Amino acid sequence: MELFTLWLWPLLALILLPGLLVYFGLHVVERGIIFVDLALAQIAALGICVAIALGAHPGHDALPWVLSVVFTLLGAGLFAWTRFNHPRVPQESIIGIIYVVSAAAATLVLSHTAEGDEALKNLLVGNVLLVTKGEVLRTFGLFAVIGTVHMLLRKRFLLVTFHEQEAKSQGVALRLWDFLFYATFGLTVVSFVQITGVYLVFSYLIVPAVCGALLSARIRTRLVIGWLVALAAGVSGLLLSVKLETLDLPTGPTIVCCFGALLIGCAAVMLVQRGRKSDGTTGRSRIA
Amino acid sequence: MTPALSALTLTLAALRVVATTPEYGAIATAVGGDKTTVVTLAKPTEDPHFVDAKPSHIVTLNRADVLIEGGAELEVGWLPPLLEGARNAKIAAGAPGHIRASEGIQLLDVPAVLDRSQGDVHAAGNPHFMMDPQNARLVAQHLADAFCRLDAGGCAGYKANLTSFQGKLDAKMADWAAAFAPFKGTPIVTYHPTWRYFAQRFGLVSELYLEPKPGIPPSPPHLAAVMQTMNEKKVRIVLVEPFQSRKTAEAVASRTGATVVDVCQFPGGLPGTQNDYIALLDADVKAIAAGLGAAK
Repeated sequence: MELFTLWLWPLLALILLPGLLVYFGLHVVERGIIFVDLALAQIAALGICVAIALGAHPGHDALPWVLSVVFTLLGAGLFAWTRFNHPRVPQESIIGIIYVVSAAAATLVLSHTAEGDEALKNLLVGNVLLVTKGEVLRTFGLFAVIGTVHMLLRKRFLLVTFHEQEAKSQGVALRLWDFLFYATFGLTVVSFVQITGVYLVFSYLIVPAVCGALLSARIRTRLVIGWLVALAAGVSGLLLSVKLETLDLPTGPTIVCCFGALLIGCAAVMLVQRGRKSDGTTGRSRIA
Repeated sequence: MTPALSALTLTLAALRVVATTPEYGAIATAVGGDKTTVVTLAKPTEDPHFVDAKPSHIVTLNRADVLIEGGAELEVGWLPPLLEGARNAKIAAGAPGHIRASEGIQLLDVPAVLDRSQGDVHAAGNPHFMMDPQNARLVAQHLADAFCRLDAGGCAGYKANLTSFQGKLDAKMADWAAAFAPFKGTPIVTYHPTWRYFAQRFGLVSELYLEPKPGIPPSPPHLAAVMQTMNEKKVRIVLVEPFQSRKTAEAVASRTGATVVDVCQFPGGLPGTQNDYIALLDADVKAIAAGLGAAK
C-alpha cells in the first residue's frame, strides 16, 4: 500500500513531531504572543543569511546552522527581556517589530548574494511531502530532549505562563524562565519550520491550543484535545491530498484547511456544551 | 492532461515517460508517438528553478519507466528530493531510464571559477540550451536512442518519428533564419540569461539582463546602468517570460522607448504552443522579429 511506502516518512513526521508544538501552543495562546513563532523563525533565517553573506554554504558548512541557533537564542533573550508589562505597549507589538525588522535585515544582508532567496525560501517553506527519514529521526530526537526538559520542569514553566503574578510573589526568576521557555520553543519552531513550512507551524501551534481552550479549562484536558486535533488534521490532510488524485491538492495547505474544519467542529461542540450547562464554568485556566 | 489524470492512464503505454520541464515533454511526445505516455512535472508558466512538490509528482515518478531532465542543474533545487521520495530504481540517478538531455551538448557560460558571488550560476554552464533549435534536434536524437534501448520493439517507430520531427524542424529552421536576417548583431535585453543560445543561433546579441546577477532581483542602480547601456546601444526590445516581473520590464521599456516582448522558453507558455516545441519556437521567433521590425 502506497501510504506506507511512498508516504511513510511524511506520515510519521505528522504523527510524531506535532506533539511538542501543541504543548508549546498552550503556552503561546495563554501568553497572548500568537505571532512569536513567525518572529523566531525569521530571526533564525537572519542568522542563516548572515552565514551566507560570510561565504558559508547551507547544507555543506556548519556555520549557517550554528548562527541560526545563536540568533534563535538571541531572539529568546530579546523576548524574555521585553516582557515588561508596559501599560501602553503590548508585547505582541514588540514581536511584530522584531519580525519585520529581521525580515528586512535578512533582505539587506542577502541583497548581494544569489542564494539568498533560495535559502530564505528553504527555511520558511518546507514541504512535508519531501521529508526524509534522517530529518524525521533527527528532529524527533531533539524534540524528545526538549520534551523531557519541559516534563521535568513543567510546574515552573506552567506557573510562569499561567500564573505570572503568583510566580512573581514566590520570587521566581521570571526573566530566566522566560529565556529558557523561548530558547527551547525557538529551537522547536526552527526545526519544525524546515520540515513543514511556516503555515503548518502556525496551525500546529495555535489551532489545537484554541480547540482545547474552547472545550476545557483544565490544562491536561486541553493538551489531550490538542493532540487529538493535531493528529486528526495531519493524517486526514495527508490522506486527502494523496488519495484525491484527480484534485492533486498540495499537502500543506490541505492540512491547514483540515485544521480550520476541526476548529469549527470544536466550536460547535462548545456551543452544545454551553447550552447544556448554563451555570458558566468558563473563566480562567486552571492547572490540572 | 494533468499529471494526476495521466498517472492513471500511464499504465497502457510501452514506456511511461516523465519530463521535468515542458520542452522535453513536447519532444518526447514527438519522438515517442503513441508508444509512450508523457507527463511533465513543471508547468510552462512556472519558474523552472523553483517547482512546488505535489503528491502527484511523486506518484508519477514512482510509476515511470523513463525520466528526462535537463541535467545542467536547472532542476537541482527540486528534482533530487522528489526522486528520493519516489523510490523508483528504474529512474534513479545513473539508471538507464534516467536521461540527461544536456549530455553531448556544448554548454555556454561555463564558469571558470565556481563562486556563488557571481549569482545563481550553474556549475555545468547555462542550462537554457533548448532555446537553440539545433540543440533540440540533438536532444530528439538522444531521446530516440534511449527509447530504442529501453523498448527495442518500438524502435522502428521511434526512428520514424525522429526523422519526421527533424524534417519539420529543418524546414522551419530556414524560415527562422530568414526572419532574423535583417537584424544581425542587434542587441536585446532579457530578464535572465535564458536567451543566450537562441541569440547565438540567430545572430542577435544577448548580453544585457534586468537581473544584476542570475537569480538576484533587479536593484535600482543596476536598472539605471542597464537603461544607460540601452540608450547608448539603441536596444529596442526587452524580452520577458510569464513567470518573470513584467512590471520591471515595462518600467525599463517605458523609460528607454523600447518595447516589451512576451516570450517563453516552454511549450504551452504562449497561446497555441501546447506540447509543441516547433510551434513554440515559431511563436517566439515571430514575436521577437516583429518587435525588432517595429522598432526599426
